[in-house]
Amino acid sequence: MNITQALPRGIGVDPQAMMRYIDDRPNDGIFQVHRDVFIDRDLFERELAYVFGRTWNFLGFESQIPKPHDFFTGHIARTPVLVTRGGDKQIRAFFNVCRHKGAMLCNVEQGMARVHVCPYHAWSYDSTGANVSIKDHAAGDYPKGFESEDHNLKPLGAVASYKGLVFGSISPDVPLLEDFLGDTKFFVDLVMDQGPHGMEPIPGRALYTFRGNWKLQLENGMDTYHLTTTHLSFLNIQSDRRRGGGNQEVRKSNVAGNMGIKTSTFTFPHGHGVLTLENEDPTIRPIYSQLDQLRARVGKTKADWTTARSFNATIFPNMNLSQNYALILRVARPISVDLTEMTSYCLGAIGESRAQRALRLREFEDFFNASGLATPDDSLMYERCQDGLTNAGGPPWLQGYARGMNELKPGGNDWTNEISARPLQNWMGTFKAGPEVMLHEPYREWQRLMDTGLRGERAYP
Amino acid sequence: MPAVKKKSRPTPPAARSAQSRGAPSLPARKSSPEALRDLLDAGRDLIESEAMYLDERRWDDWLALYTEKCEYWVPTWRMDGTLTTSHDEELSHIYYSNRAGLAERVSRLTSRWSPASSPVPRTCHIVANIRFIGAPSQDRMQLRSSWVTHALYIRQRQTYAFFGSAEYELASVSGKWLIARKKVVLKNDYIPSMIDVNCL
Repeated sequence: MNITQALPRGIGVDPQAMMRYIDDRPNDGIFQVHRDVFIDRDLFERELAYVFGRTWNFLGFESQIPKPHDFFTGHIARTPVLVTRGGDKQIRAFFNVCRHKGAMLCNVEQGMARVHVCPYHAWSYDSTGANVSIKDHAAGDYPKGFESEDHNLKPLGAVASYKGLVFGSISPDVPLLEDFLGDTKFFVDLVMDQGPHGMEPIPGRALYTFRGNWKLQLENGMDTYHLTTTHLSFLNIQSDRRRGGGNQEVRKSNVAGNMGIKTSTFTFPHGHGVLTLENEDPTIRPIYSQLDQLRARVGKTKADWTTARSFNATIFPNMNLSQNYALILRVARPISVDLTEMTSYCLGAIGESRAQRALRLREFEDFFNASGLATPDDSLMYERCQDGLTNAGGPPWLQGYARGMNELKPGGNDWTNEISARPLQNWMGTFKAGPEVMLHEPYREWQRLMDTGLRGERAYP
Repeated sequence: MPAVKKKSRPTPPAARSAQSRGAPSLPARKSSPEALRDLLDAGRDLIESEAMYLDERRWDDWLALYTEKCEYWVPTWRMDGTLTTSHDEELSHIYYSNRAGLAERVSRLTSRWSPASSPVPRTCHIVANIRFIGAPSQDRMQLRSSWVTHALYIRQRQTYAFFGSAEYELASVSGKWLIARKKVVLKNDYIPSMIDVNCL
């Protein structure tokens, strides 16, 4: 069954009208997004099917399942997923749903199990997804038709890993993961190659929700323009630290005093966008003390980008990988049009020293998560956006995508040449310019996937 | 009504070997039930004062309950459902090894420049089940509590309840009991939008 057939009936989104959600007229200096993109429930259901159902989604880390029969669970949007490493060491991903009555099979987030037993009627599946037991099978008077059916866990359409990051797709019709990531692989490499023995999510779960559309997080993940207002209380705390006050065990960066630092944005095929800026003080990176070893291992360019640059990369649709206050990988999971669940991972080098790890953690906790000094201010602003957008009768078009358009250039620039990346577009300027142009490509890809879905066409021809 | 069995009050077990922070404590001069009750009353008074100050937004009074070198720790839970045990090796919701970190929280809560704290949620802290951990001394005691904080996130018009347990290490400094260490176990860690020290 294809996804189009599985959609609820009665949802009326006119394919011909899709253009009205993204007003993309670069030659007129116009790029606007319609507020319905954030609030329309019918559109949201389509989005789950045509965007989240038909492209790669981040699922978790290989380091969560190092040994045979290890597993973790997660979701692609609302779809529960079980990822296992079989006895043959192969990684597989399944719909985390028992074939019998549709109960969620495994409700543990991570662990090891040779056999997953559904607690309802004890149908059981091994770590390769094969059904190994239908309880009291012989006594069940099953007809031939049933016996000839497949009772194994249903695999996702695709699963693949890159540098220890596991991605899955509900639809099998996706490009190879490495082709999907394209030149954003460089930024994944920057993060995942930092540890000589690899990188891992530091243990400890950070999970929270915000009452807004998932795209508000996507936008904020590459937004520098908001920093000096939304996070003013945090910047003031940092100023105080620079004067010797406050908590001296975390950094005292001076973003507001360095508004002239060089900043650049790149966009890549498949909806990815990256914001990059000079790092005012390379020595503050936990990895800095091992810069020489890092240069020897990954080369000078990558090593220097690790310490002398900061970046926020959005891997479309909903994963954000950032190297700034700490190394963070975040996933914004849509639950409903106005509710999003955030999972965030603080990444650290496998086997790193206790002091280095503690430094990472203090920086991470200082800024991020529902308990940090900065992220909650973002989350509450998303909620204010959602409230504002929901009001019927307000202005339909949002004007938050135009900053930097005058300096938007096709192809690459000096910085992308350094890393042999070939972006679709680039922008270069200062931090103060607060560019918004790297949001264009994610929205273009969103519209492309919505259009192809609505027309019943393949997502990746 | 069942008779109160006075003898059932347990003798506190020996102090845990992992005494954190500060000089080794002197044993209580007398461990009579009365002396223990006085100490427990003093500890309970401090813990309840903390709850009240947070609810009444008496931020300076709240900060003054902590020693300058206090440890304040809210560990996260691991994905396997166990609580993290090392703040230097595993993620915490909040970890400070000094009062200045708490003071920064207050500065943000009261700054009016934090959208998450404008307005500051209205809270009601309930603390109960306050018991000794180990044997107290005249200048050091460890206590545990159970707590619930009801919070109205005013802008959201939503009420949440955060709950868990807490461990305290109290130190007597110049005749006044202060919090030298607090570990907050947040049991509902599926967090709606935000959480800060005033909701713990």
